Amino acid sequence: MTDQYHNEPMLELFIFESMQLIEQMEQLIIANEKFESYDSDAINEIFRIMHTIKGSSAMMLFNNVSTLAHSMEDVFFVLREDKPQNIDSSQLSDLVLEGIDFIKVEIAKIRNGDEAEGDAAALIESLRVFHATIKAQNYTVRDQEMKDTATSQGYSAPKKQQYYISKVRTEPQSYSSSFQATLYFEEDCGMENLRAFGVVNDLGDLVKEYYHIPADLDHEDSAVVIQEQGFTLFLKTDRSLEEIHRTLSQTIYLKDLQLTQVKNCEPFEDLHEERKILLNDSAKIFASSSGERITIDQKESYSSASQQSIISVSVAKLDQLMDLVGEMVIAEAMVTQNPDLKGLELNNFEKAARQLRKITSELQDTVMSVRMVPLTGTFQKMNRTVRDMCKKLNKDVRLELIGQETEVDKNIIEHISDPLMHLIRNSIDHGIEMPSDREMKGKPRWGTITLEAKNAGGDVLIIIRDDGGGFNKAKIMSKAREKGLLQVPEDEITDKEIYNLVFLPGFSTNETVTEFSGRGVGMDVVVKNIEAVGGAITADSVPGKGTTLSLKIPLTLAIIDGMNIKVGDSRYTIPTTAIKESFRPKTTDIIVDPDDNEMIMVRGQCFPILRLHERYHVNTLVNNFADGIIIMVEQDDQTLCIFADELIGQQQVVVKSLPAYIKHTKKVTGLAGCTLLGDGSISLILDIAGLFTVKKTG
Amino acid sequence: MKKLLIVDDAAFMRVSIRNMLQNQDIEIVGEAANGLIAVSMYKELRPDVVTMDITMPEMSGIEALKLIKAFDPQAKVIMVSSMGQEGMVKQAIISGAKTFIVKPFKEELLHKTISKVLGV
Repeated sequence: MTDQYHNEPMLELFIFESMQLIEQMEQLIIANEKFESYDSDAINEIFRIMHTIKGSSAMMLFNNVSTLAHSMEDVFFVLREDKPQNIDSSQLSDLVLEGIDFIKVEIAKIRNGDEAEGDAAALIESLRVFHATIKAQNYTVRDQEMKDTATSQGYSAPKKQQYYISKVRTEPQSYSSSFQATLYFEEDCGMENLRAFGVVNDLGDLVKEYYHIPADLDHEDSAVVIQEQGFTLFLKTDRSLEEIHRTLSQTIYLKDLQLTQVKNCEPFEDLHEERKILLNDSAKIFASSSGERITIDQKESYSSASQQSIISVSVAKLDQLMDLVGEMVIAEAMVTQNPDLKGLELNNFEKAARQLRKITSELQDTVMSVRMVPLTGTFQKMNRTVRDMCKKLNKDVRLELIGQETEVDKNIIEHISDPLMHLIRNSIDHGIEMPSDREMKGKPRWGTITLEAKNAGGDVLIIIRDDGGGFNKAKIMSKAREKGLLQVPEDEITDKEIYNLVFLPGFSTNETVTEFSGRGVGMDVVVKNIEAVGGAITADSVPGKGTTLSLKIPLTLAIIDGMNIKVGDSRYTIPTTAIKESFRPKTTDIIVDPDDNEMIMVRGQCFPILRLHERYHVNTLVNNFADGIIIMVEQDDQTLCIFADELIGQQQVVVKSLPAYIKHTKKVTGLAGCTLLGDGSISLILDIAGLFTVKKTG
Repeated sequence: MKKLLIVDDAAFMRVSIRNMLQNQDIEIVGEAANGLIAVSMYKELRPDVVTMDITMPEMSGIEALKLIKAFDPQAKVIMVSSMGQEGMVKQAIISGAKTFIVKPFKEELLHKTISKVLGV
């Protein structure tokens, strides 16, 4: 990499833009593959994307990416220009997707600061062969067409711009002078042949007749010749040497110019076989441009208005902003709820504090909304997964996406992409049957997987539904028995509990490990990933009809609405979404079972009680139920009553993870993190799901 | 100070060019992401020089060049091309592009090209 690109923002922008383009292209290919042909818009778009990536990666000196992009660009160039028929679109899709994968891997390497040294030679070769095939096929077609038009209409095929015509002996005219000019261009200016073409073009009407060496400027080889030997131009003109010299020396990138007057006609006579250039295209092109103006002017009005409305910001900066806003929320509470203010009558202060609180909370909401991204990208990616799986397994599956516009915090999206992909692979691999089997069962040949997202309170629900064979209850049970995963007596177990056994660590129903879904890691990894962001997963299934997997994901991790409670000198925070109610218990409602487990009767139902002070060994004066308070919490259809000293109040808190040294030295369960309260004290955030397991085992 | 309009559909290229010209005596008055925007921005901003990408959505650099030249025959447009676009570069020259620069290019080359086109 050259120094000028060492700066990070450029690299980041390169990665960001290239990934975006690549993903866009992937969608295009998958969408077009369905119709087994590429429409011209898609071809144009893909051509442009590859062209852009070629350019940017060349600028960044990632030559392997650039070369690969170039060969893909070449293929799409032929598709765009020659419109060949009968192309093998499935092979084309495979090649291009392979190329996309290669570029993705290289970009990932670049992102991680590794050397992007992947070798795409084999792929480039395949692309080259493909390129040659479609090109060859097209030539035969075009030759035929050319013959047809030539015979029927009497002129040769259009499109071929003929700049060179055989030298015509014009009427012998006496121009005042003939010149020989040799021009040398600066090194590295590139495309010397076209620079030379530019020189001739600039001369325009100044000269009457001319020819040049090398004569054929269309051929790439001429660039090398000009680079080494210069560009020699013989011209006849009635202008003076000075005038010609002035025009030629305006040439950009000109390194050296030698202009000499030669005897009339002499070189022209010598080079009778050479050809003369006639330029008359420029006038034609200018004439056509006025017609296009009208439509373009109409379009201008909206496109100029749409510019600059979106900027891209790095996630790291957003994270920092979020952190700062979090700190500010705490600082605001520390000021307005300062103990020093207790008992003081401060009307104006109260007013100002209220204003501050309002703005802080608006600011917080805004920052939160900035971090929210629609699930579209994540969902769209699944199209590729489905395509690849179907191709490998010879199954026919259609993916339906619902509610892609649902927004989730950026951090969470990153965590659910892999689990989703894994679940969809599972559905195709184990759920959807082979087309022939499906027909025998009276189902359509193709399976359908529906991926749906919707908001549900503070959570987002993602539902994956397939119309495959459904879970095999007997198989799950026998497997669970074999692995010793059953914790409930077998005769009491419900269907739903059976289905959810598959999420337990070390469970995988398919004995034969396939390339896609069974890599030794099973559902438990998916579950772990989802739980890491505070989500939960449940399964339901109807034999023969299909399976439904529901993922419940929180909207955000950074800030939660919490109820602060007090136990002894400690403070705890319970996410308000989990709280059902809180009340002062009556001693008469308390029941103690033979195992000394305390329970409370509420409206005829019995719920277990968890004494927080016992659980976390906190000294408190409140030991009697009548003196404290009960908070009833619910998570995943389980209910628990937490006993604490008193409620402090409800507040939005910023979640901070527990310091690493606490996490490592003490395995504290039931805690999701900690937060700072308005008075500067630390409060521990309870992890309700964690408390249930504590209750069970303890 | 001379005014420059950058036209490229890739944000990466626009920022690259902008960065390369950071310490130069030139003001970047605008950035356009396609030919259509470029033409209307040209009319509005009247830059002294334009760097024009060729392959862009909505309207290609060549079309935009033609429209700009039709509007202002004195317009100085530098085409930003890359290997494999010889045919289009040729069209651009015929349509009145001042010169062209081939990707990937270095900072110095861009400086030199712009100052030469501006006749500084």
